[in-house]
Amino acid sequence: MAEKVIVENLVKKYGENTVLNSINTSIADGEVVCIIGPSGSGKSTFLRCLNRLEEPTSGSILIDGFDLTNKKTDINLVRQNIGMVFQHFNLFPHLSVLENITLAPTDLNKIDRAEAQKKAMDLLTMVGLVEKKDAYPESLSGGQKQRVAIARALAMNPDIMLFDEPTSALDPEMVGDVLNVMKKLAKDGMTMVIVTHEMGFAKEVADRVIFTDGGNFIEEGTPQAIFENPQNERTKSFLDKVLNI
Amino acid sequence: MKNKSIYLALLGALIVFTTAFVGGSQAEAADKKYTIGTDLTFAPFEFKDSSNKTVGIDIDLLNAIAKDQNFDVDIKSIGFDSAIQQVQAGQIDGMIAGMTITDERKKSFDFSDPYFDSGIVMAISGENKEIKEYKDLKGKTVGAKVGTESATFIEKNKEKYGYNVKLLDTADTMYDMLYSGNLDAIFDDYPVIGYAITQGKDLKMVTDYERGGQYGFAVKKGTNPELIKKFNAGLKKLKANGTYDKILAKYIKSETTTKNTTETSIKPVKDEYVIGTDITFAPFEFSATNGEYQGIDIELLNAIAKNQGFTVKIQPIGFDTAVQQVQANQIDGMIAGMTITDERKKSFDFSSPYFDSGIVMAVAKKNKEISTYKDLKGKTVGAKVGTESADFIQKNKDKYGYKVKLVDTTDTMYQMIASGNMDAIFDDYPVIGYAVKQGQPLKMVTEKEKGGSYGFAVKKGTNPELIAMFNQGLKELKANGDYDKILNKYIDSAKKKDTAATVDESTFGGLLKNNYPSLLSGLGKTLSLTFISFAIAVVIGVLFGLMNVSNIKLLRFIATVYIDIIRGIPLLVLAMFIFIGIPNLAGFKINEMTAGIITLSLNAGAYIAEIVRGGIKAVPVGQTEAARSLGLSYGKTMQKIILPQAFKIMIPSFINQFVISLKDTTILSAIGLVELLQSGKIIIARNLQSFKVYLIISIIYIVVITTLTKLSGVIERRISKNG
Ligand SMILES: Nc1ncnc2c1ncn2[C@@H]1O[C@H](COP(=O)(O)OP(=O)(O)O)[C@@H](O)[C@H]1O
Ligand SMILES: [Mg+2]
Repeated sequence: MAEKVIVENLVKKYGENTVLNSINTSIADGEVVCIIGPSGSGKSTFLRCLNRLEEPTSGSILIDGFDLTNKKTDINLVRQNIGMVFQHFNLFPHLSVLENITLAPTDLNKIDRAEAQKKAMDLLTMVGLVEKKDAYPESLSGGQKQRVAIARALAMNPDIMLFDEPTSALDPEMVGDVLNVMKKLAKDGMTMVIVTHEMGFAKEVADRVIFTDGGNFIEEGTPQAIFENPQNERTKSFLDKVLNI
Repeated sequence: MKNKSIYLALLGALIVFTTAFVGGSQAEAADKKYTIGTDLTFAPFEFKDSSNKTVGIDIDLLNAIAKDQNFDVDIKSIGFDSAIQQVQAGQIDGMIAGMTITDERKKSFDFSDPYFDSGIVMAISGENKEIKEYKDLKGKTVGAKVGTESATFIEKNKEKYGYNVKLLDTADTMYDMLYSGNLDAIFDDYPVIGYAITQGKDLKMVTDYERGGQYGFAVKKGTNPELIKKFNAGLKKLKANGTYDKILAKYIKSETTTKNTTETSIKPVKDEYVIGTDITFAPFEFSATNGEYQGIDIELLNAIAKNQGFTVKIQPIGFDTAVQQVQANQIDGMIAGMTITDERKKSFDFSSPYFDSGIVMAVAKKNKEISTYKDLKGKTVGAKVGTESADFIQKNKDKYGYKVKLVDTTDTMYQMIASGNMDAIFDDYPVIGYAVKQGQPLKMVTEKEKGGSYGFAVKKGTNPELIAMFNQGLKELKANGDYDKILNKYIDSAKKKDTAATVDESTFGGLLKNNYPSLLSGLGKTLSLTFISFAIAVVIGVLFGLMNVSNIKLLRFIATVYIDIIRGIPLLVLAMFIFIGIPNLAGFKINEMTAGIITLSLNAGAYIAEIVRGGIKAVPVGQTEAARSLGLSYGKTMQKIILPQAFKIMIPSFINQFVISLKDTTILSAIGLVELLQSGKIIIARNLQSFKVYLIISIIYIVVITTLTKLSGVIERRISKNG
């Protein structure tokens, strides 16, 4: 399998606080990676380094051969190939659902307006929200917002998708709809990095599960290996807490 | 990068805008005229009359000299301080503004020969009977304007006479405080007080004036020597041909006048002619509040004497006494509103008639019923006992069907018409004309009835040269218009009541009627200043606001410096710096409108930059992250995502800043920009109705600002809905 993402010696510090402590990993094309771990362990930071929403302190990140830590890399171009979905959706409130989705494709002159709208309608069909195309974000439920956000990220035809706790801000009955969309994506071969607390989802969809704590990747492996036979004490105690609720 | 090109475009627009204004003012300067600055508010030397024209001694004199010496002047009413600064900055060529020639000023100015001998005088309220000399000021409060000769004088003598000193900023505050009793006496330049009295201010002068400085026309030291030369030459000529005196007499009660040279064949034979007069026959002769005689007879005789080159001594001794003394050869003649009759011609020689009297009807000003004699049916009509008027109304009583009421005194008559006990009165027409001029609520609605003519009289067979000189002088005064001027000063003539310059400005109606054009044009200036500068300020503000949130340190630094500097300078100082300082440093002129716009734009721009920064920061950071994660550039993110949301947040602050900018325009009155407040100040300088004028102006500001705020509110709601 071709390596999509290669991370070497990634360090991220906020002042004296080391949030990522020399991370090394690689992600293959079409691989679905779920990152689990306690709050504050650096999951989001790692994810945000992958599209340089956070500036790494040192180390290197290669995505499709582009060196993200090189200042000369056109980060905007790289980002067009990496979709990101946020915990709090971050839809643009002054734009309609359709405009949210078509803004980037039309504005970056990738495709013309009509084509962008056709593509947007396809995406809305996929996430099941065609009838909301002219609605404004404030009138949508949390689950609907997150599905629009996924559609928006997909509109740029990315080949990597980053999800940062996409269901954590949702009412429980909304979670399923969002996860179903993500499963569909995974099945279609999208490379995905997902920070999540949905262990069932991770077990079902992930090719690999990474457990983080204190800025380190403590343990990684297949879902079966991590969930049924964790090696590290910290992994065990974390899973105990999460699974026995 | 895309975002840079936006900045450049905005910056370019700004530069084009600014240079358009500056360029305009340079084109103006290419004209060859001399631009002369003057004060706006120094009556009677310069002020705006009720038709909003700048008039006054300085103006008339300069125009006359320019005409005589064949040069063009463009007189700019910009205020004394601004004029000084602009002369020094080389923005204007000279100034004439009642400016005293001092050694201090000679360091930076070249002065013409003095054109006016000033001095200061004390004034007290008209009803004050307590204060007659400086000694009476013990324990009192005495006022003067800050930084004037008067201020120096009262400070110097405060110990000697034991009064308290209060220094005020403006003339109208000073007068207001005198009327309200907060001041017991004031000192001001004597022509200024003299003018205030002729304008009907309830003031009087009880002491002689203190000789003071001399006024000169000034240019920047070492510049325009030919202009000073021309001014001096013209002044000399105007003094020689009498124009100078005429101009002065037009504005100040004439007392200081120079000798006159008229070519007449008739020569006086006596050094001094003593002339008797009545003192109780207003408006022909009466004692003014300061104890001097004045009136048509007095002024006319003095003018004629001057014109003909003889000297008169006027003795107010009463009509009957004068008749007797003329007949006894004790005095040389008399002028006392004396009707020429055949009876009197037996013992007097009369001059040509100098006044056609007659009687006229007057009704209350508010009366709309009576416009002809026919309307008098069933009404009550009054006159004074034993007068021509009494005879007239008795004679016509049956014809018009009115009731006759005869009273003893003029006062009673006026009171009865005011109380409605009389519907109309008849009196000598000059008497009624004078009463109207003095503000009695009367009006004349019919033509006067022809009556007797008044003449100047000597004892039959004596002083023929005096009669001849009188006739000759009268003819000349009628020819040169001085005769009409004297008459108009005292009598409101029925025929020209429409064109009368003195519209009553003591009421709101009168104030508005007279001044609405200048108030409207002031308001126009205020609004255009506000709109233009606010538009520019928005451009500046967005530019610097964006720089302030930029990732680039240098841009943030520049923005911070700009904002800190502008916010650290008081607006008035900023205006002065731009208006005076820039021409000084850069060497090109900039007119006050341009300076005003630049000032307000820079000022509001700094505050708007802060509003923009605040608005941008108020948009959640997730919006930027979402947009950037899609691959949108920083500029696109700002333009498409952040600014649209930020502007919605900023709208209330923008409206607020707009109102502040509108109010800030008032500060520009300091650089002589005639916006709404300055228009009001000019009106106040003329009529001293400060309370009423400021009230009117406040109401205008309130109405305009409230309207604009409400309007923006509607727009704001509409924009929010479309979000
Ligand atoms: N902008 C920041 N400035 C300083 N510290 C930060 C910042 N963002 C995150 N951190 C810190 O980094 C650590 C990891 O945060 P994060 O990656 O958000 O954890 P997680 O997503 O695993 O909960 C936390 O201790 C957090 O306080
Ligand atoms: Mg997180």
